[in-house]
Amino acid sequence: MGISNDTREGAAFMTLFRRTNRLPGKDARRDDNRPNDDADVPPSLQHTLDNFKDCMDLVHHAFPEINVNLVYFGHLVGAEELSRDVTIPLTNIRENEVQALLTRNQYKLTTNSKSLIKGILNGEAAIFHNDNVYLMDVYKPEARSIQQSETETVITGPHDSFIETASANLSLIRRRVKSSHLKVIKLEVGEVTKSIVYLLYIEGIANMEYVRELTDRINLIEIDAVHDGNMLIQYIDDFPNSVFPLFSTTERTDTAVSKLVAGRIVGILDGSPSVFSAPSSFFEFMASPDDYYQRWATGTSLRVLRFIALFITLTFTALYVSVTTFHYEMIPEALLLTITESRSKVPFPPIYEALLMEVTIELLREAGARLPTKIGQTIGIVGGIVIGQAAVQAGFTSNILIIAVASSAIASFVIPSYVMSASIRLVRFGLIIMAGILGDLGIALGIAYLVVHLSGLTSLNSSYLTPVSPNNFKDWRDVFIRAPFWALRRRPSQSRSPNLVRNRMKK
Amino acid sequence: MREKLHPFHVGLLVFMVQAGVVSIFLPRMLAQYMGYNGWVSLLLFSAVATFNIFLISVVYRLSDGKSIFQIIEQSLPKVIVFPLYTVLVSVWTLIGCIAAKQYILLFTVFVFPTTPPMYMKFLFDIIAYSLITKGIYNISKAATVFFWMVIWTALLLLFFLKGFEWVNLTPFFFKESSDVIVGGLSIFTAFLGYELVLLLFPYVNSKKGFMSAVYFGNFLTTFIYLAICLTCFGFYSFKQLTRMKFPLIDLLAYIRLPFVERVENIFIALYLVSALMSITMYIWAASETAQSLIPRASKRWITGVLVCGAFAVSWIPDVLSEVELWLKYLGYMASGIAFGLPLLLIAILAINNGGKKLV
Repeated sequence: MGISNDTREGAAFMTLFRRTNRLPGKDARRDDNRPNDDADVPPSLQHTLDNFKDCMDLVHHAFPEINVNLVYFGHLVGAEELSRDVTIPLTNIRENEVQALLTRNQYKLTTNSKSLIKGILNGEAAIFHNDNVYLMDVYKPEARSIQQSETETVITGPHDSFIETASANLSLIRRRVKSSHLKVIKLEVGEVTKSIVYLLYIEGIANMEYVRELTDRINLIEIDAVHDGNMLIQYIDDFPNSVFPLFSTTERTDTAVSKLVAGRIVGILDGSPSVFSAPSSFFEFMASPDDYYQRWATGTSLRVLRFIALFITLTFTALYVSVTTFHYEMIPEALLLTITESRSKVPFPPIYEALLMEVTIELLREAGARLPTKIGQTIGIVGGIVIGQAAVQAGFTSNILIIAVASSAIASFVIPSYVMSASIRLVRFGLIIMAGILGDLGIALGIAYLVVHLSGLTSLNSSYLTPVSPNNFKDWRDVFIRAPFWALRRRPSQSRSPNLVRNRMKK
Repeated sequence: MREKLHPFHVGLLVFMVQAGVVSIFLPRMLAQYMGYNGWVSLLLFSAVATFNIFLISVVYRLSDGKSIFQIIEQSLPKVIVFPLYTVLVSVWTLIGCIAAKQYILLFTVFVFPTTPPMYMKFLFDIIAYSLITKGIYNISKAATVFFWMVIWTALLLLFFLKGFEWVNLTPFFFKESSDVIVGGLSIFTAFLGYELVLLLFPYVNSKKGFMSAVYFGNFLTTFIYLAICLTCFGFYSFKQLTRMKFPLIDLLAYIRLPFVERVENIFIALYLVSALMSITMYIWAASETAQSLIPRASKRWITGVLVCGAFAVSWIPDVLSEVELWLKYLGYMASGIAFGLPLLLIAILAINNGGKKLV
């Protein structure tokens, strides 16, 4: 393709840094606006081989007796598909039968070079006969098997999760939604990588405005490569500078399907197991599939527990810093003795002590995430000893702080979404610093700023704080608690579904 | 404006603007000026506020959802409009900044006697600025979250069921009252804030629910004030109450939990959001007015200039008593605006309509 051409490369380079303009309705399919030298060139074997010059993984078979040439990438096609649909039929016929064979409708006649090259890159085999070129889809990429998601495990419920192959992911969803109303839009991102993005929605349930908006936004992406679903959403969400994820991502098939039937739009990027759904709200990140698979009372208590965890992870260390720096009067007498005793040896102000420990915990977490499980365990043990005992005995920190830091760290992992949990942990540092400067007022200022920031955020132009503001008490049943299924009768208001009722059962 | 305000959010917004720092010393003011069982007089003040809201509802009905600036500019000559807007902008900006300063000074008195208050005010104003520039729809969204953050603290009053003595309420009403008129005006300022809904006309989506929401906001404020004041009048004796500077804070200081006490520290910090909503809405109102005064200026700049101006002015009064004095006079002016502006608008609309649609 044009990337070997100097001028094209220059143009592509410039577009990488052009600010994307997200005005809906402004058609910006990049391919339409750009001169393309391949579009009008009639396909030929020579032109194709020139294009793939120096691509040594390209396979070129010649069948001189029947005047046929075959070109494909061996690692993109399935051996069985290739022999069944291409090689065996071609080896068993005479030259005068070739034309008849190729008119069967699984062989696609191609009239321009651009689609021919695209086809070969997408795992199709190109069959050259006389002046005609036919493409036969024999795509079968290497893929890992479907396994359990490591980041989103559940106790009960389905354990299969998405993999890096979009077709496998699509099949996982199609197997669960057996409806012709499940529609799929195929788009392309990445100037160089040309990765495929599938947008899925259920006709009649999803709001088409969202579908159009999302399609427009994806079409406006101009970047060389997009490697992961979590990366993709940063190009298409409403506020790329916000610390919070505005679209939720999941590796779980059941979660993606539940988002679809709730009227949200689901996006699959080929090459990534992270599937995104939009629009999303802040509170959606607090839900886990487990809530629905357990009895409603258990589910509800899990939800409540997570909101308590959110509160703890945001404020616990900050409160410790605030109380031990400015508000000693808040500690009851009995507890005061313990705290002063544990703090008596510590030579630093609480803010340094807290930041030191928080940073250590973050280091441990990051190291643990990068290392193989076996070494990760060692890190855990070493970290546990350093944090748990040595730091206290050396007089670096107080026992009580360890409890505060550890409980906020544990609480942060209770939040089901890893991306959200990471954002919250970052915000926590801000609150700790504010607590060190202005005590309780600092925490209040920090939280007020957080709320102000959150109220300005939108996800696909719908409020990120739904259903708290704009308020919708009916939605609260499936946000702050997990009400019994007979009470969950409507789809979430955020999806603005044309078909709101999801449960017609009588009690 | 893409999105419109829902009545529910208007109600909460009105409550958040009305209820503010004043609730901390309202019981004392009631005891001082209204005498025994002064809390009952709250109903009277609430009724006055309700009447004022009624006037605003008449304006709303006559205006057909038009912005009040449109109405004023269509009918009055520029010579009158210009000074009128200037007065509105100055009073609203000043009220916003002085109310915020009052909160900051209060906090300084209790917790940070040595920290320069203007430093805290600076941080406070930054948050207010970032909220105002997000527009009224996002302000109302934030107000809703802030509402849920503070409203549950009303349940803390249940802690005082045990210490509540009916005998403290006495059978006397308004005995030992003093300065009823002046004091009454000061107490009435505690209800102010609802008048800003005059500026919300173009931003609301439902004609029907809007004014009921404003009434509801005022009712909620009244209810919370009544609950606080009744608890204070029943928990403290009358004489005690007249001598306490901040009865609500002292009340909260009684609450003890096994692992934390003197929780008033946290709650004064939490009431920051009420003060924040007051300054935000008043300066938002001022910037809306200023925008009509100078239509070509960018809204961001206007808000920036007003917030900076408010910050500079709030430098002047540096003790709580001075701030209270400022607030007293500003409160009179704001009350004047709260009644005067709807009356002026009704007069204009009545003349324009030839009295056809009046009520």
